[in-house]
Amino acid sequence: MRAAAGPPRRTVLLRTALAAALVFCAVAGWLDWRARADEDLAHARARDTALADGRRHIARLHTLESRSVRDGLDGWLDATAGPLRAELERTRGESGAVLEQEGTTARGTVTDAALTALDTRAGTARVLATVRVRLTPRDGEPTTDRKRCEATLTRTADGWKLTQVTTVPVGAA
Amino acid sequence: MSGRETRASGAVASEVVAPEGVASEVVASGAASSGAAGSGPAAPPTRRLPRRLPRRLRAAAAVALTVALLAAGGLLLAHARHLTAGDAAGNRALTDTAATDRVTVEVSDALHRVFSYGPDTLERTERDAETLLTGPAAADYAELFPRVEQEVGAQELTLTTHTVRAGVTELTADRARLLVFLDQTARRAGHEPTTTAAQLTVEAELRDGRWRITDLTPR
Repeated sequence: MRAAAGPPRRTVLLRTALAAALVFCAVAGWLDWRARADEDLAHARARDTALADGRRHIARLHTLESRSVRDGLDGWLDATAGPLRAELERTRGESGAVLEQEGTTARGTVTDAALTALDTRAGTARVLATVRVRLTPRDGEPTTDRKRCEATLTRTADGWKLTQVTTVPVGAA
Repeated sequence: MSGRETRASGAVASEVVAPEGVASEVVASGAASSGAAGSGPAAPPTRRLPRRLPRRLRAAAAVALTVALLAAGGLLLAHARHLTAGDAAGNRALTDTAATDRVTVEVSDALHRVFSYGPDTLERTERDAETLLTGPAAADYAELFPRVEQEVGAQELTLTTHTVRAGVTELTADRARLLVFLDQTARRAGHEPTTTAAQLTVEAELRDGRWRITDLTPR
């Protein structure tokens, strides 16, 4: 009976809804594709990721709890890649013993940081950072040290890692 | 939302079942009549049944597809928004290299001019500061300057400031934030020159075609 009166109202409604959903999905897909294809946007995202990773790793490299030197050194390895990581791996045993004996706790805070170069194709970046390091010796008063650092970053499968960290000396022009 | 859609699909499916009841009657009578007419009795049911069954499935599939499309569209839209609406999109530091270089050069030059002075150049420095500094930075500088004048006069002090490294952290059409590493060399009569390091977070704004420093924070 209903078939004779043409497609039921529900069928019409269903078709309209399907068509509308199709259009909605197509528009959303296009907007998303456009956002993904935007090179400036991709570059900006890479910049923010590299800076955030750089900040975190630089702070970590200036931090060491005297009670868990080994964990701290593992953290250093995790923050680095390439030659810096190799260097830290090579000296790990020796530095661990020295640092444990010294018993000084260091807590580094990055007070500001900025990227000065970013090559997303090569996966490299250069970052500046000012670091405040609070040193607490085993016995004695804590002191605060301020440093200015320059570091190079390399993109790895596990995010951006430090490949070199240097203090920018006075008179370095 | 998807729960409601799923119920709707059930409703539609049961609705479609009703005509099928009618259809099976039609099929039965059709088979009977066609059997009486002498034509192939198997032909009408095979033609009709596939048409009825997909119709029910089609409705359910259409609902499912609608829901899936709405969900996918929603996710895509959320993702696109996430990409474009974040802080990353508005910040042109390093993405606009020309603008990044320009603000770096102009801010470095401003810091050099404002924080370099000697007995013969104090007046010029003060004049430069009036145009290169604005807002809180100008107020702080004005407060500091009498002491500078006194020191310069008493010790024959000459201070030279230059930027060693600078990086832009935020950049819009008319606002910028930079991290700057400075070296400051002080020469006093009868003393060896001494160079000290200074690090500043600099806020600047572009006004009348030039970047002016609005705020300075030592780091």
